[in-house]
Amino acid sequence: MSVSHEPFDTFAALHAVGALDGDDLRAFEAHLATGCARCATLVRQTEQALARAAMAGPPEPPPSAVRYRLVRRAAAAGAPGRRRWLPWTLGIVAAAIAAGAFSAAYVAARYEARLGQMARQTAAAKERVARTESELREELALLRDPTTRMVELRGQAAAPGAVARVLWADGAGGLLLATKLPPPPPGKVYALWTVAGDAPRAAGVFVPDDGGRATLRVAAEASGAPVRVLSVTLEPEGAVAAPSGAIALAPR
Amino acid sequence: MSNAADLIHQMAEGDAEAFGRFYDRYAPLIYPLILRILPDPTDAAECLQDVFWESRERARTYDAARGTPDAWLVTRARARAIERMRAARRRRDALPLGAPRAVAVEAPAPPERMAGFDRSVLTRAFERLPDPQREALELAYYGGLTQTEITARLKQPLGTVKTRLRLALDRLREMVKPA
Repeated sequence: MSVSHEPFDTFAALHAVGALDGDDLRAFEAHLATGCARCATLVRQTEQALARAAMAGPPEPPPSAVRYRLVRRAAAAGAPGRRRWLPWTLGIVAAAIAAGAFSAAYVAARYEARLGQMARQTAAAKERVARTESELREELALLRDPTTRMVELRGQAAAPGAVARVLWADGAGGLLLATKLPPPPPGKVYALWTVAGDAPRAAGVFVPDDGGRATLRVAAEASGAPVRVLSVTLEPEGAVAAPSGAIALAPR
Repeated sequence: MSNAADLIHQMAEGDAEAFGRFYDRYAPLIYPLILRILPDPTDAAECLQDVFWESRERARTYDAARGTPDAWLVTRARARAIERMRAARRRRDALPLGAPRAVAVEAPAPPERMAGFDRSVLTRAFERLPDPQREALELAYYGGLTQTEITARLKQPLGTVKTRLRLALDRLREMVKPA
């Protein structure tokens, strides 16, 4: 390791904060691709220092809906995907094509990152479109069903200003649309209950978005029995077999 | 191996409880950083969700030799927030064909216009930097500006901007060095 390593020490620091551009960026990436351990270490140390500084401020809890959505999505998705060969393969192919003009390592790093990002964005967009289409089809079918009825729910003690409507068809299930719901207290979620027979059935849990709105799709009763009562209570996160918390929404 | 690294490895195996614990540990620390870059709480919440989902999906690629869990997550969070900020800027700047295009480089709002978020992320480490260095570093870190863009913004020579950033980052490394 040489004593003077300029301009690469400066480049490494600026690279860690994303400020390097133009000829300096190209020169540094080509230099890094030669395997300079000093620069790699300096970039890593600077990133770590920035991370420590950025996280040293007072914590601020994010909206509870974010955690709820993530945990629910994780539970449905299973183990994270292992299809990581695709961006790598594309990155390697891109490197081979451009090898005549640039060093293979430099191009591989650049293209792998870009293609990986594009692959993530494309996959996420496809998933969103497919999910939205499926949800819209279900909602349309519910609206077309001649047996669908609308139940109005009014805010109770736990959510006095809240209003909700449930589109319900006994054979197809329903759709809850709620507004003006206050955020649930930490560790709690709203739970929808349907009563068809003697005991209430847990029909799903939800948290409203930042605007107090919530939408929940509900499956039909397994027996197909007509639902007589719908209500929403505040319950602890996790499995709850029967309503135990304060009532948030109930029929008028 | 730190506890956070353990959680990342458990996340990679699909452990939903570990994912929840990882989120609980880091989300309140990361959210102020994202809010500093994306002041709209809805944007910030969506970004936070993307960051944690991507972290879960890429947990298998985490390599402790290449950085701490903190740096692994913060670097991703900042990058995603800046991507969103730039995308919003591009949408806003997409003028009709033939109309003159804005050439001004956008910078984050100065602290007095961001009173709600300023203190939450402006850590003591940043505060202890000399003003010119802190200004350049904030434009780069929170504003996502490159050295050339900062030069245009501050109307300072490129060499001056590089030196300020370099000195700021050298000091920052010294200040937050683990005891």
